[in-house]
Amino acid sequence: MSPQYFLRSLLLIILAAFSANASNWLYLAKLSSVGSISEEETCEKLKGLIQRQVQMCKRNLEVMDSVRRGAQLAIEECQYQFRNRRWNCSTLDTLPVFGKVVSQGTREAAFVYAISSAGVAFAVTRACSSGELDKCGCDRTVHGVSPQGFQWSGCSDNIAYGVAFSQSFVDVRERSKGASSSRALMNLHNNEAGRKAILNNMRVECKCHGVSGSCEVKTCWKAMPPFRKVGNVLKEKFDGATEVEQRKIGSTKVLVPKNSQFKPHTDEDLVYLDSSPDFCDHDLKNGVLGTSGRQCNKTSKAIDGCELLCCGRGFHTEEVEVVERCSCKFHWCCFVKCKQCHRVVEMHTCR
Amino acid sequence: MAGAIIENMSTKKLCIVGAILLIFQIIAFLVGGLIAPSPTTALPYVAIKCIDVQRTHQKVKWFMPWGPNQCEKIRDFDEALSRQIEANAIVFAVHIPLPTKEMSPWFQFMLYILHLDVAFKMNNHIKENAEITLDVSLAYRDDMYSEWKEMAHAIETRKLKCAFPYPKTIENEGRYYNCDVLPFMEIGTVAHKYYLVNIRIPVIEKKGINVGIGEIKDIRLVGIHQNGGFTKVWFAMKTFLTPSIFIIMVWYWRRITMMTRAPVLLEKVIFALGISMTFINIPVEWFSIGFDWTWMLLFADIRQGVFYAMLLSFWIIFCGEHIMDQNNRNRLSGYWKQVGPIAVGSFCLFVFDMCERGVQLKNPFYSIWTTDVGTELAMAFIIVAGICLCLYFLFLCFMVFQVFRNISGKQSSLPAMSKARRLHYEGLIFRFKFLMLISLACAAMTVIFFIVSQVTEGHWKWGDFTVEVNSAFFTGTYGMWNLYVFTLMFLYAPSHKNYGEDQSNGDLGVSGGEELQLTTTITHVDGPTEVYKLSRKNAQE
Repeated sequence: MSPQYFLRSLLLIILAAFSANASNWLYLAKLSSVGSISEEETCEKLKGLIQRQVQMCKRNLEVMDSVRRGAQLAIEECQYQFRNRRWNCSTLDTLPVFGKVVSQGTREAAFVYAISSAGVAFAVTRACSSGELDKCGCDRTVHGVSPQGFQWSGCSDNIAYGVAFSQSFVDVRERSKGASSSRALMNLHNNEAGRKAILNNMRVECKCHGVSGSCEVKTCWKAMPPFRKVGNVLKEKFDGATEVEQRKIGSTKVLVPKNSQFKPHTDEDLVYLDSSPDFCDHDLKNGVLGTSGRQCNKTSKAIDGCELLCCGRGFHTEEVEVVERCSCKFHWCCFVKCKQCHRVVEMHTCR
Repeated sequence: MAGAIIENMSTKKLCIVGAILLIFQIIAFLVGGLIAPSPTTALPYVAIKCIDVQRTHQKVKWFMPWGPNQCEKIRDFDEALSRQIEANAIVFAVHIPLPTKEMSPWFQFMLYILHLDVAFKMNNHIKENAEITLDVSLAYRDDMYSEWKEMAHAIETRKLKCAFPYPKTIENEGRYYNCDVLPFMEIGTVAHKYYLVNIRIPVIEKKGINVGIGEIKDIRLVGIHQNGGFTKVWFAMKTFLTPSIFIIMVWYWRRITMMTRAPVLLEKVIFALGISMTFINIPVEWFSIGFDWTWMLLFADIRQGVFYAMLLSFWIIFCGEHIMDQNNRNRLSGYWKQVGPIAVGSFCLFVFDMCERGVQLKNPFYSIWTTDVGTELAMAFIIVAGICLCLYFLFLCFMVFQVFRNISGKQSSLPAMSKARRLHYEGLIFRFKFLMLISLACAAMTVIFFIVSQVTEGHWKWGDFTVEVNSAFFTGTYGMWNLYVFTLMFLYAPSHKNYGEDQSNGDLGVSGGEELQLTTTITHVDGPTEVYKLSRKNAQE
């Protein structure tokens, strides 16, 4: 092996490692045992962050808990939205969190990038409203803040801060590469689409408080949608995602639909570069768990049906007795008193 | 009201006055649009879930969501379930405002709205007509380290109006209900820097309290207050307008007392309008900066109500006095049919306001809309007031119609009249049409700007240039009605030219045709009212 060849392969390995870990910060979600991130040293120990993110972590220590919360939210939501699909957003306990599936430019990667940048924006905005962060809407680095301050004209919406933070934290990886490779462009686009899914679904609510409560004076504000709603929106975008390729228009590189018959994608749409594998077989090298052993629905003809989910391998059927909670009595929180009911159900699992 | 200034004024002068007023009007709009920020700000808060660990030891305890001495928190209720914490031990805490900010008396009022995030669960629905009972307390302090002092405590019930827009299947578990916002609290002054809200939702199964309200995930509050900048601009405007209206009012009344006859009803009504305008203008709100006067919000409502009632009465009486049908009015009692509805309507709104904002002086969490009886009562008041308003407008329209009918009748017979008589009627007609015009213009402007400010977003942007539409609407219409009252008192004050000045002046003006000068010499012909007749007698004598 010549030294030149060795160097080249080393470079390739490094590059591959770099392009793989663009979403590695999601590993934060796995660190619930660390406790809160309250010291600068913790930042360095956090796995999955790139150098620039570590710097951001040190500068914005108080926000990091929200970033972690955002990552957790994103993974939970991803798993909920994909619970019936062959790829069910299962995570590994190693880096990269989703295995190689997300490292390639697939549809699934597009969704993961979108939901995770949305998750950070969401969690940071929420933390602002609950008083966990100091800057937020009144932070002067955020666009749209009045120079005269809180007393004169209030602050801008917290969502502006949440989105700005998500932009600088999540996108930093792609930005540092100079946004030239098609993969970087795809990630940036999908990150932005995720944040748009929040921004474009804000609910406007109003209150009238004029003389005797008349609408002579009316104040309106924007309320963030529940994260489930964001997940649903992004799932719809996932189903209608556009396959794109990089083209050079003038001096800038842009992504355009591969099939020129399709109408160009908008800011809110998800885009992907590579087609996905079928996710049928267990392939630990690529982080695909496969569908064997998964429960399926015998009657359904959709993707959760046994036919499709098991990739035609067939399925086992067994009768199991399940113990269910029934005729429960609930309080609004934290109290459930149930009877136990036994029921025999047919359970189908993929071979 | 004989020989008002408007009748004796040349068209040129009238135009000059109009132009000056227009300039002031534009200034009023610009002050709001360019200097002031938007009138109000809404701040969202998410309540932190605290655990009341030592409920039995201390009776009163305040739960701080963040900062020093913060409470023991839980992130979500799954955590509470696993730690076996009961619903009764959970306290929702909201600190107002957010960290590093402080409230200020310039905010004038605080208004809070409650949002419940209720998740759908297959076997934990929200019942029909569910009600939520909240144990709420409010505390304040003026620096970050002193003890919280209790301001109010109440147990409040609110109706849950929630809809689930998706099919109620297991697929949709975890989605949120769409719940109507609930009124939470209203405070008329912001005298303190920091406020703390603690909310408990106690469950008492035997009494059915807080049972069947679904699975609450979060409590969110939205706080609305007036922007400090807007308050300052508003105060400045009031402070400037008060002396302007007051001076013209004094001047007007001096003119009237200088006359030999007693003031007629219309003159008195215009004066009353001036008084009610001054009543609104006087910037007593300055005191709210130094004193903790919670009744300021109520007082502001009352002042506005008085002005509206006065303005409506003025329109009716003005029309009535210009009907030109020889009927003798000139007494308020002659207008009981028309003024009656105004009085009844305003009284209804006053009672309603007292029931809502009046009670809120005692209990800031109170809202009349939360109980069935209260809602019906409130609706009854508002409907009666609405009917009165409709009645009033019918009367007003009918009167305007009568005036116009008489005007067209008179106009056809004008050439046949004697010159003095003709001039008198021409004066009346001009006076009426002029007021009709500016009143309609003002009303139309108000309505248009109101609609514009409701429909469009709060501010318009051109590059770096922002215009606050809502603020411009408030300062603009406020300035407009002030100018309206100002103009009325100025132009409808009795003219000096009236006394002793000869008729030939007017003759010259009209016949010369170079400068159309409308002069009436009402005192020398038979006028429609008794006073006019009396003054004629005096003149003859």
